[in-house]
Amino acid sequence: MSRIFITGMGLISAIGDSVEENRDSLINEHCGIGHIRFYKTAYAGKLPTAEVKHTTDELNKKLFGTPDPSVTRTSLLALHAAGEAIRDSQLASKEISSAETALVGASTVGGMCLTDELYHDARARDGGTPYLSSYDYASVTLAIRERYGILGETATINTACSSSANAIIYGARLIRHGFAKRAIVGGADSLAKFTINGFNALNILSSKICAPFDRDRSGLNLGEGAAFLVLEKEEDLNGKKTYAELTGFGNKNDAYHASSNSPEGQGPYLSMMEALESSGLGPQDISYINAHGTGTENNDETESRAMLRLFDQVPPFSSTKSLTGHTLGAAGAMEAVFAIQSLVYQEMYPSLSFQHPIPETGLVPVLHYTRHFIRHVMSNSFGFGGNCSTLIFSKS
Amino acid sequence: MPYFHQSVCISPQNSFPETDLSRIRESKNNWLEATEPDYPGIPAAVKRRMGKSVRMAVGASIPLLKKFPPPDGMVIATANGGMEDCIRFLNQIHEYKEGLLTPGSFVQSTSNAAAAQIAILTKNHNYNITHVHRGLAFENALLDVVMLLKENPQAGYLLGSTDEISAYNYNIDRIAGWFRDEPVLNTGLFEKPAKGTIAGEGAFMVWMNNERTAAQAEMMAVKTIHTVDPGLVLKTMEKFLSENLPSGETPDLVLTGENGDIRMAPYIDIVESYFNESVPVARFKHFCGEYCTASSFACWLAIQIVQCGFVPPLLIKKKGSRSSCKRILIYNNYRDIQHAFILISAVERV
Amino acid sequence: MMETAELKQQVKEQIIHFLNLTTVKPEDITDDEPLFGEGLGLDSIDSIELIVLLSREYGITIQDPKEGRKILTDINTMVDYIEKNRTK
Repeated sequence: MSRIFITGMGLISAIGDSVEENRDSLINEHCGIGHIRFYKTAYAGKLPTAEVKHTTDELNKKLFGTPDPSVTRTSLLALHAAGEAIRDSQLASKEISSAETALVGASTVGGMCLTDELYHDARARDGGTPYLSSYDYASVTLAIRERYGILGETATINTACSSSANAIIYGARLIRHGFAKRAIVGGADSLAKFTINGFNALNILSSKICAPFDRDRSGLNLGEGAAFLVLEKEEDLNGKKTYAELTGFGNKNDAYHASSNSPEGQGPYLSMMEALESSGLGPQDISYINAHGTGTENNDETESRAMLRLFDQVPPFSSTKSLTGHTLGAAGAMEAVFAIQSLVYQEMYPSLSFQHPIPETGLVPVLHYTRHFIRHVMSNSFGFGGNCSTLIFSKS
Repeated sequence: MPYFHQSVCISPQNSFPETDLSRIRESKNNWLEATEPDYPGIPAAVKRRMGKSVRMAVGASIPLLKKFPPPDGMVIATANGGMEDCIRFLNQIHEYKEGLLTPGSFVQSTSNAAAAQIAILTKNHNYNITHVHRGLAFENALLDVVMLLKENPQAGYLLGSTDEISAYNYNIDRIAGWFRDEPVLNTGLFEKPAKGTIAGEGAFMVWMNNERTAAQAEMMAVKTIHTVDPGLVLKTMEKFLSENLPSGETPDLVLTGENGDIRMAPYIDIVESYFNESVPVARFKHFCGEYCTASSFACWLAIQIVQCGFVPPLLIKKKGSRSSCKRILIYNNYRDIQHAFILISAVERV
Repeated sequence: MMETAELKQQVKEQIIHFLNLTTVKPEDITDDEPLFGEGLGLDSIDSIELIVLLSREYGITIQDPKEGRKILTDINTMVDYIEKNRTK
């Protein structure tokens, strides 16, 4: 079975426009959560969110020079991050566009960030906005495919908050089975009335800055962003630099409720266990966990229980969502990048806004930037519909 | 070798619970709506929340979940997920100006709602994924299962797809030019090719494993490509056939996703004209309509056809002169750029 | 001012309609039968939806979902609360 390595990464979020800028913010504890500045919603000023600090026009001009009016914000974020990852991987352009390059994207919002336009087009007699073909989730992946002329296996996954972690897994498997030589994998999501109102209707958005794993946490803050990674197999590296090896992964289902986890965190427990089994590692080998840690009552407690069940000694863990917000379809890939960075630089990132542990579990996350010996790191993403995914990266 | 076992197909035609492909049900207002059975296996408390696509998917999975052991994974394809629920939630956002809203339709509109619901109903903790890549979502899901069966040769998986027409989604696609402006019956879909086609919907669920015993069909290969160059479509097909069929052999049937949209004719023509007169050609979209995962209906058809060796006359475009129908090449095109080939064969009886 | 019995009937019809309980009739719901868990078997999403119902139909705002669950114990507690707090 081929060993899979990460040779390129790209990222844009509320705390930076690149992998480097994001790391800088993590180290310096720059929280990206605040009031909504650009997106038009009744909740601007009321619900803290982690917005990428550029208008859609700015993102558009940066990528296209002359803005392309049919490209949605989600796609722009995806293009930005995928572009950085591709440049970082130093692949030749004919390698990128080849039929041996797979592209696996993920999004839970797609072009539905344009909620008003969607509402309009759904009812229009004729005419319609330029976004008619851009509302679905695949439009985001297809925007990348078109820009780079990629001819290989192309897929889009939507399993809510674990989507881009599953995209990474699917891409790795395509390579292992010989359906691709390399894979560009990741996800993107932008703010949308659809998700703001949806999560708010479920009472899981906090009116305060989120406090993952804190006793008094009161919900999550939505974020936006995109992250992409380039995966290549060992036989093709030819001395190329690698950031890390993807040594294990798991996907299991909690099978309890559509929008909350079982009290004992069965899905999270099983996905972590499967990832460990697939890597040949034991729980004691994990030096650090980038937790899902959304800040909701349900997730943080059940995730904690799952960690306590699996680990005799729960390793240090943090939720970077306390800086980036919950970026939904981008979260899995974004946090994979953070996990890989922690491996590369031998460090752990802070979990902000934490004051008191959850009484039932007593776990305390990493509170400040800390240098730490890390050989193997775990990243967790647990989505609606009980979809639980775990990735393990190891020093390469 | 992956095999298809029992399957359930909920479609606009007589596909479930009884199969009768000798008759064709007509479309209405350019829609081919799926006829749904009663779904006694879905508890009322759960069914009340479900939009049509989730209901069809869950309903189609129940007979298989009753018959086979718990699946080692569920792989579902849906490109439009719960579109109706999605727009219902949007309507609320608009009507109540982002005020106090009910979350039910938001939760149901998520793409993985069907896969999640099946897992919840059966307490299945295994691999669970939803592919949403527009017209290739089903093929990606199929490839995913092919890989899973290599990784876990003793396992069994539930593969499925579902998509629904919703008035709003149809409207968006209509003004984008994907559907016919003037009324056309599905029975006359191919008579006067013009811009656009008709809308369809349906769900398909099938049990897959590596067991030949009692299998209904063999899954040979699947290949997808994005291109607007008919020449590249042809090259892809040639390579696909040469890699998967013995040299010089051709399929016993070519089943295409011709949908009456004149703009897609170059792809259909180049694929069909590759084969000589002896190879029969059939098409399926006058039966199921056009939707992202329509190729799953073709997959279901192919499984039925290879079992009895007989092609229902209403599907036939070119009769050909094959005496049996053991290997079927499905070619589907979705909105110009997405192309897929699936090769399915009858089970080799030892 | 609506009679309590009439209000109970109306609330039962509204619950059925709002939550799409297609197989339940108003006469199937007894006044002291728990709405959640056993009894009618509603769940956490239903409880949120019923809080929205109370707002839209009766102008009642419930900030804390936990408080909402207490009010929604059964038809009796629900109707009692509506009578005391309705603004519509």
